[in-house]
Amino acid sequence: MPGIELKNVTKTFGAATVIDDVSLSIRPHEFMVFLGPSGCGKSTLLRMIAGLESVDAGEIWIGDRRVDRLPPGERRVAMVFQHYALYPHMTVRENMSFGLRNVRLPEAEIDNRVTAAAKMLEITHLLERKPGQISGGQRQRVAIGRAIVKEPQLFLFDEPLSNLDAALRVRTRLEIAQLHQRVDAAMIFVTHDQVEAMTLAHRIVVMNNRRIEQIGTPMEIYSRPATAFVAGFVGTPAMNFTPVELSDGPNGFVAARLPDGAIVTTRIEASSLPASKSFKLGIRAESLDICPVGQGETAGVAQFVERLGDRTLVYVRLSDGSTIVAEDAGNSRVAINDSVGVKIDGGGVHLFDDQDRGHHAVLDGSAT
Amino acid sequence: MAAQLASGAVGRRLGDRVILAATIALAIVMVLPMLWAVGLSLKSNAELLVDTNSVLKAPWTLRNYYDILIGSGVFRWLLNSIIVSVGMSLGVLALSSLAGYGFARLEFPGRNVIFVLVLFGLAIPEQAVILVRHQLFSDLDLHNTYAGLMLPGMSAPFGVFLMTQYFKAIPTEVDEAAMLDNASRFKIFWRVLLPMTLPAQATLGIFTFLHAWNDYWWPLVSGTNEQMYTLTVGIASTQMNFAESAGLGYLMAQAVFAGLPILIVYMFFQKYIVRAVSGAAT
Repeated sequence: MPGIELKNVTKTFGAATVIDDVSLSIRPHEFMVFLGPSGCGKSTLLRMIAGLESVDAGEIWIGDRRVDRLPPGERRVAMVFQHYALYPHMTVRENMSFGLRNVRLPEAEIDNRVTAAAKMLEITHLLERKPGQISGGQRQRVAIGRAIVKEPQLFLFDEPLSNLDAALRVRTRLEIAQLHQRVDAAMIFVTHDQVEAMTLAHRIVVMNNRRIEQIGTPMEIYSRPATAFVAGFVGTPAMNFTPVELSDGPNGFVAARLPDGAIVTTRIEASSLPASKSFKLGIRAESLDICPVGQGETAGVAQFVERLGDRTLVYVRLSDGSTIVAEDAGNSRVAINDSVGVKIDGGGVHLFDDQDRGHHAVLDGSAT
Repeated sequence: MAAQLASGAVGRRLGDRVILAATIALAIVMVLPMLWAVGLSLKSNAELLVDTNSVLKAPWTLRNYYDILIGSGVFRWLLNSIIVSVGMSLGVLALSSLAGYGFARLEFPGRNVIFVLVLFGLAIPEQAVILVRHQLFSDLDLHNTYAGLMLPGMSAPFGVFLMTQYFKAIPTEVDEAAMLDNASRFKIFWRVLLPMTLPAQATLGIFTFLHAWNDYWWPLVSGTNEQMYTLTVGIASTQMNFAESAGLGYLMAQAVFAGLPILIVYMFFQKYIVRAVSGAAT
């Protein structure tokens, strides 16, 4: 089964570059998620792979075929659109078989494929209905069914869950993951929802400002973000950032001095850091534990408390005026305006240089 | 609270009744002349010449309808009207759909300028161009032909505008889905998008048909041969002078006869006409 290869792909609309020299390789049967904020170019990249947008420079390969000059119908890809894009005047069965009829597949084969896909998606009872007569979730299933029957080499999903309500979104997400187990094809899934990306992807492509920021597994993206953007975009609550001054700590690791004077010993090797005018410290809430005043590296006043049940998020104002989000137990008794201490886990500290590149704690004896 | 609700309901009921009464009154105003025409058509011409109020009294007769059926060219005119109205409607639908698709979906140089030029057509009255058109059709030898009667109506700026807006309202994702489904551009137009515009087609078709059926001026100018009269021109031709009172029953019988096809069209397409008039279709 083929993989997908994007080589130096560029797209411009007039004077504006919307995809800037992107290269990317997707393995056969891989579930790849394009993640990024609105306008970062992720949908455009997907549409270029589908053939719905032209490629101004670069090449797109699916398996051993170069496809960037082929019309969409000849690329052996199937796409599921955000707004379903079903044909409203056709029944569900006609919607699913339309593409197969166009390539003149024998009727018996069309019937087999439609029946099998409908069974897989549990929409057999809807086959003779029209899209207007079924619910939003069912329409999305039909759209997925229309993609499945084509038996494509590559599935493309353009924010397919964003029109569904929260409960249905979770269910459909699971079903798409299950679908991927059953079909022999790669999938590219575009979303701005990091939970979708983290739960579905083998690898995530984080995009920002027309370029790829990082490609990695969900845990790589989460725990070793390549840039400050990735660190800030992935994870809820967002990573805390604060400017720091670095000094040499024990065992070749660096120590970071926070603006309020607190010193944190990191697990980042001093030798791994580049020369940089300044460094920014990044740390997630889960590496900041609330403790009694005096027992942590720093302390402050609780400004706001978010109780999430299994844990509690405490927004702490430090003495220098900055605010960080720290974590406490689910049954935390911290109240607004309480003075609290904050224990900082040096292993959870990330440093970002003046180019916004991330540097992380040593892993199995090697530093990045 | 309950009292307020009750008084609100009473107010609504009263309002409903006023509206109902007004509707009935308007319906009577609309229908009465038609019934009067039907009544006149069932009276002998001699009796009507003496007293038109004799409509309400027997005897009634089908003589006028008999005279129409055997004595006038009304069948020919009816056929002409049907050919011209149906032909013009089909032509307008085909041309407006193609043009609307083009303006809504294709990118070509000067698209916006051409669209504005088409819209200018809405502002130009027929009176302003009829002399030139007459000359043109005369030069092309198109007078007294069906093409001559149909062609002017086929340049339908309103139709182009309506269909353009309708095509624009269809999400381009639908086209894209069809492209990924291996459909050719024409197939996307014909099998996917065009069926989605059926409500607009119905609106446009009905309006065009009614306009063509009732049109009097251009058929009067172009169809000068009696064999090429449409119903409107034909019926008018049986009247010797304006506001003639002789042969009133016969004239009314012809009017009723001419109105029947419209009534039939209305019966079949009532749903679409109501939608078209209320604007719900667009």
